Amino acid sequence: MKRAELAAAIAAAAPDHVIITSLGSAGRAWRDHGGPNPTFFGSDPMGAAPGLALGAALARPDLRFLLLEGDGDLVMNLGVLLAIADAGAGNLRVVVFHNGRYETGGGQPLAAAGRADLGAVALGAGWPWVRTLERGASGDTLRAGVEALLAAPVAPALLVAEVDAEASPYGGPGELSGVEARVRFQEQLRNWESRREDAG
Amino acid sequence: MSETGSNGADRARRIAERLRAGGVELAASLPDSWLSPLIDRVAADEHIRHVRVSREDDAVAIAGGAALMGKRSVVLCQNAGVLLATNVLAAFSYHHQLPLLIVAAARGGAEDGFYYQMYKGQVSAGVAAAAGLSVHQVTGPQDDWLFERGSEQAWLQRRPVVLMCSRGALLGAAA
Repeated sequence: MKRAELAAAIAAAAPDHVIITSLGSAGRAWRDHGGPNPTFFGSDPMGAAPGLALGAALARPDLRFLLLEGDGDLVMNLGVLLAIADAGAGNLRVVVFHNGRYETGGGQPLAAAGRADLGAVALGAGWPWVRTLERGASGDTLRAGVEALLAAPVAPALLVAEVDAEASPYGGPGELSGVEARVRFQEQLRNWESRREDAG
Repeated sequence: MSETGSNGADRARRIAERLRAGGVELAASLPDSWLSPLIDRVAADEHIRHVRVSREDDAVAIAGGAALMGKRSVVLCQNAGVLLATNVLAAFSYHHQLPLLIVAAARGGAEDGFYYQMYKGQVSAGVAAAAGLSVHQVTGPQDDWLFERGSEQAWLQRRPVVLMCSRGALLGAAA
């Protein structure tokens, strides 16, 4: 499964979600192949995206949040799984882009890559709904897996999606500073909510 | 001498009232004995969403996420948490400019009787200042206005603000 395929499947299934991404290849896959959802593209520090997504979800329980999380970002801070499970954020779902290595940093393997089971870690941390999509999943299985995550009857819910190792070089310094990206997201969210209110 | 006697409960009530008056709607916490009454008070407060964490940088990230969505929040932790969370605090200060308030137990001062707390008192305020944060010393009830105004200052500065709180400020006069 390519990162782009996963991002495209998410975009098709989750047009009504606010997206938060970790830095690195998961965020870039969403930027290049995702949808027009209001999106906060996370940046440094690594390991902060899940906490940030939890805080956002708790602050706005009226919205649905989807965190697109790189496995390197997640393993930097596995303890956050406890906080999210404990908070019981019913409006937060997570897709982990799992290739077992630090793609942007040069492809070095994660600690215990190939042995650790991130889904089992989440289950052990108290998450009520966890599934794993294997690397060789068909397009239909991928779409069904994403739809099952979004329709999960309990949350927080987490989908570990095994994606292929693909080159993901740095894309340069980017056009926006962190604060500019934050302000752009907040404007995008306001406009999105305004259009939703107008529509309905 | 109890760390959680009636003085502590009264202080916690007053501090929680100030936090609410400052617009705080979410609190993320990691325990310290000086903070125990306040954490219990906040956890029972129907107007503040309380989140338990296992590391202080998670608490800061959660508070930053609330700020991203326009909500004011507070982190309750020991000053060691400021040291642990310096990376995310510096990022929220300089990179993202996300406001939040930290109410920190200022362990390691002259009033503290534990040798292993001393280093925290020696370095945490300086580290917080180096990370770009405004730092206030809260030494007693006369400084309670800071629990309310700290959030406003954070919002105006677009960065975290730290209240380094003495034992007396958090627990009241020793019984």
